[in-house]
Amino acid sequence: MNKKIDVSVIITVSKKQNRNNVETIYNTYKSVLEKSKLSHEFIYVTNADSGDLLTSLQALQQVNEDIKIVKLARWFGDATALNIGYDESSGRLILTLPAFQQVKVDEVFRIINTFVDTDMIIASRKRVKDNFLQRFQTKIFHYIVKVMLGMYYHDLGCKVRLFKREILDHIHLYGDQIRFLPLLADKYGFRVKELEVEQYQSDAAHTFYSAKHYAERFVDLISIFFLIKFTKKPLRFFGVPGFIIFSIGSLLGLILFYQRMFMDTPLADRPIVLVSILLIVFGIQLFAIGLVAEIIIFTHSKDTQEYIVEKVIGGEREEVEKVHLPPIEQEV
Amino acid sequence: MDISIVIPVYNEEASVEPLYRQIVDALAPFEYKYEIILVDDGSSDNTFNNASELARKDSRLKVVKLKRNYGQTIGLHSGFQITQGRIVITMDGDLQNDPLDIETMVKKIDDGFDIVLGWRYDRKDSLISRKIPSKIANWLISRVTGIPVKDNGCAIRAYRGEVVKKFPMYSEMHRLMPVITALSGARFAQIKVKHHPRQFGKSKYGLSRIYKVLIDMVALKIIFSFFHLPLYGFGIFAIFFGILSLAVFAIGVVNAILFPGHSLVTTMGSSLLLASLSMFLVFMGLISEMVYKTGDIKIEKLLKNKK
Repeated sequence: MNKKIDVSVIITVSKKQNRNNVETIYNTYKSVLEKSKLSHEFIYVTNADSGDLLTSLQALQQVNEDIKIVKLARWFGDATALNIGYDESSGRLILTLPAFQQVKVDEVFRIINTFVDTDMIIASRKRVKDNFLQRFQTKIFHYIVKVMLGMYYHDLGCKVRLFKREILDHIHLYGDQIRFLPLLADKYGFRVKELEVEQYQSDAAHTFYSAKHYAERFVDLISIFFLIKFTKKPLRFFGVPGFIIFSIGSLLGLILFYQRMFMDTPLADRPIVLVSILLIVFGIQLFAIGLVAEIIIFTHSKDTQEYIVEKVIGGEREEVEKVHLPPIEQEV
Repeated sequence: MDISIVIPVYNEEASVEPLYRQIVDALAPFEYKYEIILVDDGSSDNTFNNASELARKDSRLKVVKLKRNYGQTIGLHSGFQITQGRIVITMDGDLQNDPLDIETMVKKIDDGFDIVLGWRYDRKDSLISRKIPSKIANWLISRVTGIPVKDNGCAIRAYRGEVVKKFPMYSEMHRLMPVITALSGARFAQIKVKHHPRQFGKSKYGLSRIYKVLIDMVALKIIFSFFHLPLYGFGIFAIFFGILSLAVFAIGVVNAILFPGHSLVTTMGSSLLLASLSMFLVFMGLISEMVYKTGDIKIEKLLKNKK
């Protein structure tokens, strides 16, 4: 802990994602990091309480002292696990890796080497192993992300990412939102690069998911959408549609009122009256929700700073470098 | 420290040095201890290098570099965080404000005002794209909020130091700073300031900001007029709709008695909808009350330190 470590490798693996070849994976990744000559540590965050996964991790730990195992009592999702791993880590850079292989091993090395003048590199797999349908669903997902958030990434599902520690100082994700980390990093002003990499032979192992999985992704997407687009201006988000709906309802109400008063059309059995009132009610509700959100932002705006000061220069103090320079100096 | 001058700059490489000279020259005849804080709002040109070059020679100049362009509000906010002055001055980095006005503003603050606003009575900008929209916006803002600020867009302003650190700054709030502070009871003065035509670069803020400012203003007005007691604010509307619901219900009952056989669907339906809205508003009020209690910005405490 005393000496500053270059890279903390954080691997989050839940009981359900249990893979048998923990040892092989560890050794492959370790060889890459040794090749890069960067000091490193491995942090496994898992909720495995018994069985193969924990046994093999503990066996590994006996032999290699650079492994830390964080055992969770429950699984709260990859993003939460990453945050916990981050608390335990001390590296200047953080490398997240999947507990299985998504990309060819050499590509991890290439990612480490390309980490110059950037804050985050995410791997984007060339989808050679996927079949047509898999590629299609990936495309669709990333297209939706683009439409909603205006940022296009090719492979948010790939867990191989290398980034500065700072990013997790500022961004707190939870649950399964880990795939959206690059989007938030970008929003905060970090430079995010994509690097196209070769896919691992057997990466296409998991293919289609349950309906629940897709539903959860969709909810995540909406919460990220709100986080990125409107956390600072909720009344614009809710208030404007609320006002429009309210206006439509009121207009309809006026027309009906006019008909009743001057054209003698009875209203008692016309459902349109209910529609008009429903719209008015709904409009007011939206506006009220926007207002509550606005009160939250107003009273908590000190906790929700979404900007990053890179440097402060001048005055009596020394020049303060807040950003660590990338550590890569070695010859390849 | 007497004065902190906070200036957000964005792609103003040519203006940085003349700006610095102007300020130093303008303040030279007086004995104020001051600092200049330049906030580089993620410029892509040489603004930061030029500014830090100057900062190496003069310890009164500080440069804050932001990671990317976040807009004026955040630019100001991040500058405010490191101010040490008893009085904080803000101005634009494009040389359109005149640092000679600083002295007058400082005097006004010393007279006991919390905020002194500049008023560009002779504005040197294009009529159609800048002046007219700004006139309309100023008129609307003063109508809605009841605070007669003549020039909400003028960047040169002076604040008492502790005021700026307390106020919430998000979205486009910096434009509404005078209104926010005035609504919470600050004393403000307006003085005529000089305005110069733009020398370098071009203006960075478009028309779309007015719509944003107007919505922010509605939000602020509502928050300040009812919602520093949120349950009370929502409660009034809840009671209104509750009474309306009962009234519609009564009409329905009367109708049913006078004209038996008529359909009750619309009256009863409307009454129920309105009743549910009324309940909804009560709950919203309770939630806001909770939020407000746990929040760290309380409107009634914003200016507590006032002498």
